[in-house]
Amino acid sequence: MSASAGISMRDALYEQPGPKMRRRIRIGTAIALVLVAIFVLGIIRQFYVTGQLDAKYWAFFLQPTTWTYLANGFWGTVKVSVVAGAISLALGLVFMLGRTSSFAWLRGLSRAFIDFFRGVPSLLLIYFFFLVIPQYGIKMSSFWMITLPVALSASGVLAEVFRAGVNAVPKGQTEAAISIGLSKMQTMFKIVLPQAIRFVIPTLISQLVIVVKDTTLAYVVSYPDMLQNARVLITNYDALVSTYFVVAIIYILLNYLINQASIAVSRRTGVKILRPA
Amino acid sequence: MGIEELLGQYGDMYGTALLTTWWMTIVSYAGAMALALVLTIMRVCPIRPLRMFADFFVQVFRNIPGISLLIITVYALPKLDVIFPYDICVIVTTILIASAFGSENFMSGINTISVGQIEAARSLGLTFGQMLRQVVIPQALRSVVLPMTNLLIAVMLTTAIASQVPMKPPELTGLVSYINTRSTGGITTFLISALCYVGTAVFIGYVGNKLDKKVRILR
Repeated sequence: MSASAGISMRDALYEQPGPKMRRRIRIGTAIALVLVAIFVLGIIRQFYVTGQLDAKYWAFFLQPTTWTYLANGFWGTVKVSVVAGAISLALGLVFMLGRTSSFAWLRGLSRAFIDFFRGVPSLLLIYFFFLVIPQYGIKMSSFWMITLPVALSASGVLAEVFRAGVNAVPKGQTEAAISIGLSKMQTMFKIVLPQAIRFVIPTLISQLVIVVKDTTLAYVVSYPDMLQNARVLITNYDALVSTYFVVAIIYILLNYLINQASIAVSRRTGVKILRPA
Repeated sequence: MGIEELLGQYGDMYGTALLTTWWMTIVSYAGAMALALVLTIMRVCPIRPLRMFADFFVQVFRNIPGISLLIITVYALPKLDVIFPYDICVIVTTILIASAFGSENFMSGINTISVGQIEAARSLGLTFGQMLRQVVIPQALRSVVLPMTNLLIAVMLTTAIASQVPMKPPELTGLVSYINTRSTGGITTFLISALCYVGTAVFIGYVGNKLDKKVRILR
């Protein structure tokens, strides 16, 4: 890439267009603009003819109470995301250490856990905590019924992220550490892990998006996150379409910002974002 | 409930549920791949409005939570006179989300090719079409095998949102909620569904890894 640094692949594909090609691109651009405009106008028209643009469906977004209510829900979303994120970081690290340990049984066990939590939908885990666990007489608050499954399902992925980070540390360093007499534990915790974590920080940030997305399942256990509070707003104002669209846009923006943050950190530290499943 | 009683009473439903999850996964994945291809072509074409539209589309659908989009397709779209049956809602939701990720995979596949190769192809006198067919597409496809395998697993996990709509028959996740809201099925109800998912995921992962080892370009 060095010779043509700064040119993205998208642009490198095309030669400098000649006059004929430039005209064709201009015509294509005009047609595409019209098509996109028709598409957008079509959507707006559909809102209009079905009466969804009526002021009564949107006016309540001007009231501060609407936003305090959504903000309360947002706070719930943040709490679940942060706690679930923290738990999944710790668990992911533990699973990864098990997966790379020198005991075969521990490796097998950790691998089974990782494959299990990566291969099961978070909704199924939520139903496990919501419907199955109470049958054994264990009582849990709705906060933990959403936070634990979300954390468990993220931990499998994070274990693989950490493992990718550990693999990215040059092998010579482990060999050097062992030859100067460090034990395996010391090598892992003093030499490999600190660098591995630095390698995966942007990836960890981008994985937060998955946690945030999973928290929207909180309504299953009636925990008041943003989506659940939106449902209450809907019953109060009978404004289903506008509320669901506004809430969806908030989630999209939040996740977009998290992704941008992860890209920014990746650029600053020169560490790539990995894309595990 | 013991496992024999459970399988005696609900064994058939588990079979149907597994098949339901499978066919929804396959249909959604096929649709997502087709849409991802179109989006990717739009994103690399020289016509700016198409590029921007497809970029925007991908950002929206890779960042929207699945359940939020499902709720919109199930409850909000009918108010806009767009009505789908429940299973189509689930598939449309899954396709929209998966196509955004699929297109991201294709884009990063294209980006693994160095710009120097394009320059070399051009100086050899290859036409644009030849360059795409013989240089760009083969390499891009080879490097997306693993991400696309992971996407297939992700699509299967996404179809679990079908448990949030009254699907008949229910798929694997919906069935767990179906049984446990009617009786105390216990942990086995959950484990059977979980093993169906994990088994499928491990199998897909195994095949994907084999395929990837065969076609990967070592750099």
